[in-house]
Amino acid sequence: MKLSLDLVESLQIAIRALRANKARGVLTTLGIIIGIVAVVLTMTAANGLQNRFRESFSAVGTDVIYVSRMPWVVMDDFFLFRNRPNLDLREARALEEKLRGRALVNPTVDTRQDVKYRSEDMEGVTVVGTTEKQNRISSAQPQAGRFLLPFDVTYKKNVCVIGSDVKDGLFGSVDPINKTMKIGRSDFRIIGVMEKQGGSFMGGPNFDRQVFVPISTYVKAFGGQRGHEDVNVAVKAPSQESMKDLEYEVIGEMRKVRKLRPSETDNFSINKLDTLVGTFNNVMGVVLLVGLIVTGISLFVGAVGVMNIMFVSVTERTREIGVRKAIGATQKSILLQFLFESSAICLVGGLIGIVLAALLTAVINATLMPASISIPILIVAVVVSVLVGVLSGVAPAYRGARLDPIESLRYE
Amino acid sequence: MKDASATNTLSLQNVVKTYAMGSATVRALDGVSLEIARNEYVAVMGPSGSGKSTLMNIIGCLDVPTSGTYCLEGQMVAQMPEERLAEIRNRRIGFVFQTFNLLPRANILHNVELPLVYGGVPRTERRARAETALRTVGLSDRMTHRPNELSGGQRQRVAIARALVTRPSIVLADEPTGNLDSKTGEDIMSMLDDLHAGGQTIILVTHEEHIAEHAHRLVRLRDGLIESDEVRRAPAPRRVAVPVLEAAGVGAA
Repeated sequence: MKLSLDLVESLQIAIRALRANKARGVLTTLGIIIGIVAVVLTMTAANGLQNRFRESFSAVGTDVIYVSRMPWVVMDDFFLFRNRPNLDLREARALEEKLRGRALVNPTVDTRQDVKYRSEDMEGVTVVGTTEKQNRISSAQPQAGRFLLPFDVTYKKNVCVIGSDVKDGLFGSVDPINKTMKIGRSDFRIIGVMEKQGGSFMGGPNFDRQVFVPISTYVKAFGGQRGHEDVNVAVKAPSQESMKDLEYEVIGEMRKVRKLRPSETDNFSINKLDTLVGTFNNVMGVVLLVGLIVTGISLFVGAVGVMNIMFVSVTERTREIGVRKAIGATQKSILLQFLFESSAICLVGGLIGIVLAALLTAVINATLMPASISIPILIVAVVVSVLVGVLSGVAPAYRGARLDPIESLRYE
Repeated sequence: MKDASATNTLSLQNVVKTYAMGSATVRALDGVSLEIARNEYVAVMGPSGSGKSTLMNIIGCLDVPTSGTYCLEGQMVAQMPEERLAEIRNRRIGFVFQTFNLLPRANILHNVELPLVYGGVPRTERRARAETALRTVGLSDRMTHRPNELSGGQRQRVAIARALVTRPSIVLADEPTGNLDSKTGEDIMSMLDDLHAGGQTIILVTHEEHIAEHAHRLVRLRDGLIESDEVRRAPAPRRVAVPVLEAAGVGAA
């Protein structure tokens, strides 16, 4: 009861002291403001990146293994992979045969082509030759029209399903279904439009800027020399838990298809979303590290500023401290008074920082990437600013609390 | 010590206070014994360096003696920790300073409330008592003013209200008229006289004879010792009915 009274009173005293010194308080908090802006922006950026990553790669699927010639992320020497043979359609079919009944297998091939509808065209759109199994491997579904059917693949139909960016780029507000567009030099009838996937993540693949065509048609239209396709084979595990086992099986079967001797290393790569997650975490680590350093430095500078101003404040108010002690203030209540004051200064700085960060986030959201401030981030920002306030107030408050009342009353 | 407290508000036995001044030690008080009974009106006089400030600081529990005992209303103050001393100052002592020592940024009401804040008195009771105390000193129409909007005499009346609001055992007035013109000074002194008439124990430090004459007992200090201690008038009978002071709770036992 006594303590809670102390807290309320100390808070009121602190607010009164702050009101009397508004300009100085605000100037002092500049470091804190910058620090809190850095805290909030760092966390918001990290959050935004994570969301963006999740959105961008939701189409990849966490329970899918991709067998390809190259790893997605080349960490080692590129030349180690350069001489690997392409994975061709014949091998893909053989692998599918071996895994029949155990997993869903879908081969894809892709290339970049220019696409054109009337006067509108787009360059370097990813054209993916795939099968009807594509939309069982990935969660992405058509938002209008339909996806490929077995029939389209079997009869090498010149039909395509376009991504949302392609639809926007070529058709604008026109309904693209059943329109005919040019992919490279061939005509394709549009049978469906995919739902939006969230665009490219940091220069990675943009699944919205894609066109799906039957793989058989692809080979006919863009295949080039037979047997030289660079096929990716997607293998979907029946469950998340069977991923690990499936990976070994796929490696084993693939080695059989390639007739590799035990002494030979794999001349193909197994890719999973996990591989990307690892890379992504590295990027996040750098973002967080930079943010942390900026935050740390500005908060430190801010804390030193607040400490300095609190020392000045204690010295200026030596007489006040003497009076308070004479009429019954204990060391503890003087200590609390100044701790509250420094915390309040920093809290004000923190709140200003949060407002600034919110404005900046809105700008980022409108220009760079989707970003929004979340409640946990706000809580962290408030806690950090109060903590800085308490830490920077300890030394000045202690000095004030220890002042001799007699000396203080005599202080001019 | 209980026996002494039966009649005496405070009792000092052989109090010594020494200060280190560089390599030398200064004996500011060199064995002072003093008993002050309830409702006495004592003036302490002495030239500068006589030890009267030190004596006031010890009586006011702002300082503790190097040796000797100090008993305030039956409580041994000499060896108390800081927190207990603060509590004693809060509950039992009302300070009136030469320089008023009001908080410049707070309004009058809050200045008077402040001791009750540290005493942990609930908000509504606090406000009521502070308003009553301000009415007693005739400043109930100035409650929202700041100290710098008041005259010196008014400020000292605020300080007196602040000293009274906790219903202290002793009012310690240290040169209360030192910063006032003689007319205002007389007003303040007659206010102290009224308080004494209402039952309040008052200790007054001054170097002016005509101010000291308001007191009923005069203690003169010289070189850290009591030079003389004389009763000039018999203490006034306790509890003369002064309605305003009763309202402020002054002299209530």
